[in-house]
Amino acid sequence: MTEDTLTIDVLDSRARRREDRRDLFRMMGGKALMAGTATVAATTSAFAQTAAPTDADILNFALNLEYLEAQFYSFASFGTGLNNNLLTGTGTQGAVTGGRQVPFQDTVVRQYAREIAQDEIAHVQFLRGALGAAAVSQPAIDIGSDPNGAFSSAARAAGLIGAGQSFDPYANDNNFLLGAFIFEDVGVTAYKGAAPLITSKVFLEAAAGILAVEAYHAALVRTVLYGRGVQTPSLRTSADAISDARDSLDGSSDLDQGISPIPASGAQSPVASNIVPVDQNGLTFSRTGGQVLNIVYLNRMAVTRGGFFPNGVNGNIRTSAAN
Amino acid sequence: MNYDMAMIDALTYRAKRRESRREFFKTAGSAAVAAGSVSLLAACGGDGDNNNSGGGGSPPPPTGTTPPPPPPASATIGDPEILNFALNLEYLEAEFYSFAVFGRGLDASLRTGIGTPGTVTPGRQVNFTDPVVAQYALEIAQDEIAHVRFLRAQLGAATVAEPSIDVGSSANGAFSAAARAAGLVGAGAAFDPYANDENFLLGAFLFEDVGVTAYKGASPLITSKVFLEAAAGILAAEAYHAGLIRTILFRKGLDTPSLRSATVAISNARDSLDGASDIDQGIVGTADASNIVPTDANALAFSRNGGQVLNIVYLTPTASRTGGFFPNGVNGAINTSQAN
Repeated sequence: MTEDTLTIDVLDSRARRREDRRDLFRMMGGKALMAGTATVAATTSAFAQTAAPTDADILNFALNLEYLEAQFYSFASFGTGLNNNLLTGTGTQGAVTGGRQVPFQDTVVRQYAREIAQDEIAHVQFLRGALGAAAVSQPAIDIGSDPNGAFSSAARAAGLIGAGQSFDPYANDNNFLLGAFIFEDVGVTAYKGAAPLITSKVFLEAAAGILAVEAYHAALVRTVLYGRGVQTPSLRTSADAISDARDSLDGSSDLDQGISPIPASGAQSPVASNIVPVDQNGLTFSRTGGQVLNIVYLNRMAVTRGGFFPNGVNGNIRTSAAN
Repeated sequence: MNYDMAMIDALTYRAKRRESRREFFKTAGSAAVAAGSVSLLAACGGDGDNNNSGGGGSPPPPTGTTPPPPPPASATIGDPEILNFALNLEYLEAEFYSFAVFGRGLDASLRTGIGTPGTVTPGRQVNFTDPVVAQYALEIAQDEIAHVRFLRAQLGAATVAEPSIDVGSSANGAFSAAARAAGLVGAGAAFDPYANDENFLLGAFLFEDVGVTAYKGASPLITSKVFLEAAAGILAAEAYHAGLIRTILFRKGLDTPSLRSATVAISNARDSLDGASDIDQGIVGTADASNIVPTDANALAFSRNGGQVLNIVYLTPTASRTGGFFPNGVNGAINTSQAN
């Protein structure tokens, strides 16, 4: 991405946020509780386009995403993947392609990586425990750094690398952070989108607990990228570009935001950071299962495999949305 | 809190996390989905695990109120009551960040509603040194004001007015009382969250995780799927804010270790207010890992019920209608802290 495109993007996002806020002020007129419901309904995208999935379907869908995240962070932090006893289950078990320990330069980043790795592994364990015999096995996962692999494809889609080049998220601290950035916000939107579909109050509260943790992780990664972006502006623009790529995969709605600052007035600072991707109401976004799969399959069409899941995810929610 | 104590805390936390994980493995063993509900319940209800010594052993804070204990939160708790409870918390956060960033509080038009309207013991604009911290503060202020607007719009005529809020920095104020409870300032001394970047971040730290636990605890109580998804959106935004604040404090704690130990002390103070369960963590992790995310053994964020949230913002471990950041109490049906 060139500096010029960057400027345009920043202007776009500024306009977007401003426009959002104008909409908000218009809406604020005289809302009653009932009218209010309609407002929210209009701004939240529902998972519910597909036939109503069961709680087990939803938890298994989440488990696939947690397998992906856990393998990535586990390799990056420890140089090894998940234990074999965490991979079994129904469906077709697959292997992990690639992944290796990051030679972290910054101790603090290494500590962050380990914390997130521990959390993601615990999420896998927790969901498997909750699902018991219904747990799906880990499908084939590609977290390698081959030029034909998923990370390189994602980075290419974002314009971070050229044709035939590879993006290696294990090469150094910054690449690791950008690799992490690809996933974290997506998990937040997935859990939020699924929340109203979960019927068990117990699972709902547990899912809310994972949602929160994914948001903490996402904030951590975004905050570090933003902070390092003071010295290395390409980190911010790269995050913006990845966000744009995600947005271009999951349909026409704008459900994603980069981290570059947004002009504002009235404060000591002339700009605000954008650590939290939110709509005009200060709410994070939702994605349907299909939209989440658009991103991890790296395909805007309705498909059942691709990208980080070369053979698709296991379970009943497995087809990306047709955009 | 000195550095040695921080080290002890770190070791305690590490042990605690390990122990929690061991317990999890025990629970997780043989759960089927049918049985899974049960094990989830056990795991979640165990939120408040048994590790109730917060590590630092902060003394329970002064209550400062004599409660005429009214009955605990009434039986008629529906979505509007829950949203109004959330609105009180958003008023508080929005006032704090608004003063810190803009030097003034919320517009009068955002403070009207039913119940007893209050006054704000004001804060003031922070003269930020680090421009990046100023940018973070501005972003969070915008979000919190948006949350106030959003909840008010959803509630319409049912919206509660902003109650009296104390975001001042006098030695008798809520921030100072909270900091004193955490051992950050001595008797009679003031804690000023507007004095500099670091104090601002610690002031923010005081609130952010609490919002996360409040929304998570409320999530299974919300009946409308629409409100539920909206609440999940606010929950996530609060978790992003909390993650941001904790990440900055962790980084700045490299050069200023007292920032990290201060979060442990504040966390312990919160934990000592809200009952015996351990549902709070500072940012000090292990030698190998940070602790940006406060989680249980299953890496789930914690829950607090309304009464526990009020324990913290009222700064009292007992059942009370008023105190701390809400000198006249919150407005709405959920208004009484828990008796711990």
